[in-house]
Amino acid sequence: MKLMCKRLAAAAGLGLALISGAACAQGAKAALAKVKPADFPTQPIEMTVVYPAGGGADLTARLLAKTMEDITGNRILVNNRTGGAGMVGHAWLATQAPADGYAIGMLVNLVWGDSMLRAQGRWTHTDLEPVGYLNSDPMMWFVTNDGPFKGKTLKDIVQAAKDKPGTIRVATVPGSMWDYSIEQVEKQNDARFLRVPFQSGGAGVVGLIGNNVDVALGFYAEAKPHMEAGKIRGVGVASPERLSHAKDMPTLNEQLGGKDYLWTLLRFVVVPKKTPADRKAYIGAMVKAAMQQKSLRDEYAKLGVYFDPALENAANITEALNAEAERERAFYVKTGRLKP
Amino acid sequence: MEAMSGLFTGFGVILTPENLLLCLAGSFVGTMIGVLPGIGPLAALALLLPITFSLPPIAGVVMLAAIFYGAMYGGSTTSILLNLPGEAASVVTCRDGYQMAKQGRAGAALGIAAIGSFIAGTLSVVALTFFAPILGEWAIRFGPPENVALMLLGLVCTLYMITGSALKGLVMIALGVLLAMVGTDVVTGNERFTFGSIDLSGGLDLLAIVIGLFGISEILLNVETISKSTLLADKIRGLFPTREDWKASLAPMLRGSGLGFLLGLVPGGGPITASFISYAVEQRVAKDPSRFGKGAIEGVAGPEAANNAAVGGSMIPVLSLGIPGTPVTALLLGALVIQGIQPGPLFMQQRPDLFWGIVASMYVGNVFLLILNLPLVGLWVQLLRVPYRVLFPIVLMLSVVGTYSANKNLFDLWVMLAFGVSGYVLRKLQYDLAPFLIAFVLAPLLEQSLRQTLVMSPDGIMIMTQRPIAAVLIAISFVLVALMIRRGLTTRKTGGIPHEAHV
Repeated sequence: MKLMCKRLAAAAGLGLALISGAACAQGAKAALAKVKPADFPTQPIEMTVVYPAGGGADLTARLLAKTMEDITGNRILVNNRTGGAGMVGHAWLATQAPADGYAIGMLVNLVWGDSMLRAQGRWTHTDLEPVGYLNSDPMMWFVTNDGPFKGKTLKDIVQAAKDKPGTIRVATVPGSMWDYSIEQVEKQNDARFLRVPFQSGGAGVVGLIGNNVDVALGFYAEAKPHMEAGKIRGVGVASPERLSHAKDMPTLNEQLGGKDYLWTLLRFVVVPKKTPADRKAYIGAMVKAAMQQKSLRDEYAKLGVYFDPALENAANITEALNAEAERERAFYVKTGRLKP
Repeated sequence: MEAMSGLFTGFGVILTPENLLLCLAGSFVGTMIGVLPGIGPLAALALLLPITFSLPPIAGVVMLAAIFYGAMYGGSTTSILLNLPGEAASVVTCRDGYQMAKQGRAGAALGIAAIGSFIAGTLSVVALTFFAPILGEWAIRFGPPENVALMLLGLVCTLYMITGSALKGLVMIALGVLLAMVGTDVVTGNERFTFGSIDLSGGLDLLAIVIGLFGISEILLNVETISKSTLLADKIRGLFPTREDWKASLAPMLRGSGLGFLLGLVPGGGPITASFISYAVEQRVAKDPSRFGKGAIEGVAGPEAANNAAVGGSMIPVLSLGIPGTPVTALLLGALVIQGIQPGPLFMQQRPDLFWGIVASMYVGNVFLLILNLPLVGLWVQLLRVPYRVLFPIVLMLSVVGTYSANKNLFDLWVMLAFGVSGYVLRKLQYDLAPFLIAFVLAPLLEQSLRQTLVMSPDGIMIMTQRPIAAVLIAISFVLVALMIRRGLTTRKTGGIPHEAHV
């Protein structure tokens, strides 16, 4: 063990030595100093990620932690508490994490579904308070360029699912946003797809490329290389407006004539509710300062996300994100998943 | 020819002091984490990922990839010396590797494992060099029906591994399948067999089970015979493989390389499945299968080659299509994405420097690993001289740390402990644990693929016969089962399978 630590340290040193020169923003630092509590932080802050290392959430958190470290000089350790598709980490944050500011979480809004539908009263997302918004990643619908929907629009696809119900194969991830988006399209258009279950959105996109399904839902980053190679094409995005980095892709709303076809991964930072107010404010300010760094925004942009101005400029991010959670609750109530 | 010029480009990129140093560092770290039980390549890669942010893309990925294949080299060490798998892919190496060590031939086993890893690692990179684009397209055709067929074949191969009572072996396979069902239902998203526990909602952790079942139970068994002061029964007989060892190992290594490479390619494959199937194949083709489990060098050479070749195979979908088939390759992909590079079908054309650089680094890394590992054999063998009372507390501590560090979940430690005690009891009762493990690994994939297949198929299960790859794999499974039954019937006439304890 000791040997390994030494090795890791040596490798780390090697890495640091190769940094050409870490940029440090002075302006953000000054603003932060104003809200910094005198006695905090005196030890490293642990940022919990509930998904495995290497995924979208993990990369988002590690980039954030690194930028926050550069700005403040505080040590921030990213810790993957995985298991139960996020359930284990969510429950830990909500019920066991120390409320002293040293435990923070980088969450994705899937936490709301976990809390409302699966937590069975063991914990709730309201035990956690959002303190900073990071980015958004809207769900997209994809088809192959040589498959049955070559040159067709989303409207055509939905029409096909209406004419021949239960024959169009679409990849879904059961019990999550993928399922909800499909269900919403089915319900509001009187159509029915054949839902083939996959473990993740990425696996569904692979299924699409291998022609094992006709339609797949997923996110920009995982589909981008296949779009560039001309294998697949996005036919709709579940965001309020077209995205600047995918202008050709219409929104689900414009294709299907609705206004509530909105399914987006939101990524944000939370602390346990009982964390002291001054520490909450400082952590919020740290996130905000980090998000003002061009370097971090560029890194995030490479992951194919966008920054929702409504959430970025929200006067009170806690309320803004809680309102989003309530919107999701309304959907669960409306679809009979949750008792009002 | 395109591949050759590409490779030259690659070596041009990789042969700088900085890149070579990082490749060496990655190889060393990989070997170490392979040796340490519990701490796997995934955890190490996650820890080192932030370092790569500030490195040039090629340098970072070269180091991370070296850790990945380096771990497969190191994984066999504790399997052979302590009967404690360093990685799940080395579980099967325990069977004959540990028996060899007990006979004083640890050096030969370690040497063959290192050389087999080198040959397989290099062969799989050669295949990667020349066939990456074609094989990538082939791998993606592996849909749910093909996966069902592959998993079935894997389970059938497990039948061949059963030593001793066939009934006990089947019980263990069934138990493995059963316990794999705990967790979230892949189709409905509902929890099952979790008894309302959040910790069980994601199922039982593979790593905790491997360490408990094989590591902790081994310690418990050895504690009983603590009167012997060290592990070594006989004198160490030579540090390096003899001429006979070579002759016996070469064919298994080559078969293991081919098998591992092909299984690494496809989503349901991977190093664990590859090592198990390779073992079953070697046992099947051996002139005297009864030697297996008692220190047959083929049982080390084949699986160790297979798990290394699988690494090369699993790089193909990532590099040629941008599709990761395993968590580790997903993390490698993540390291590139963070640098603003998204490998996809055009990766080879758009960034030939990176593509060929990574490929070239794998040639270099395998040479480094061989140079690193062969001299270490002598050092590792000395571990056998360490007294029990010193060695086992250390191993126990490493097991606990390793299990906890994977998910940072205390519950996993209880799982490890429970499986440690169960493993001890089962081994006392002469149940073979390896079939349990392979069943546990294959069952979730089998279930998911089967249910996907049935959802997407218009003619129910008949879809399996309509897809050529699936049909061939199913046919092989049937032939293997038929052969097995025939063998069972003939031995019954002559007095049954010898009832042999396997520990």
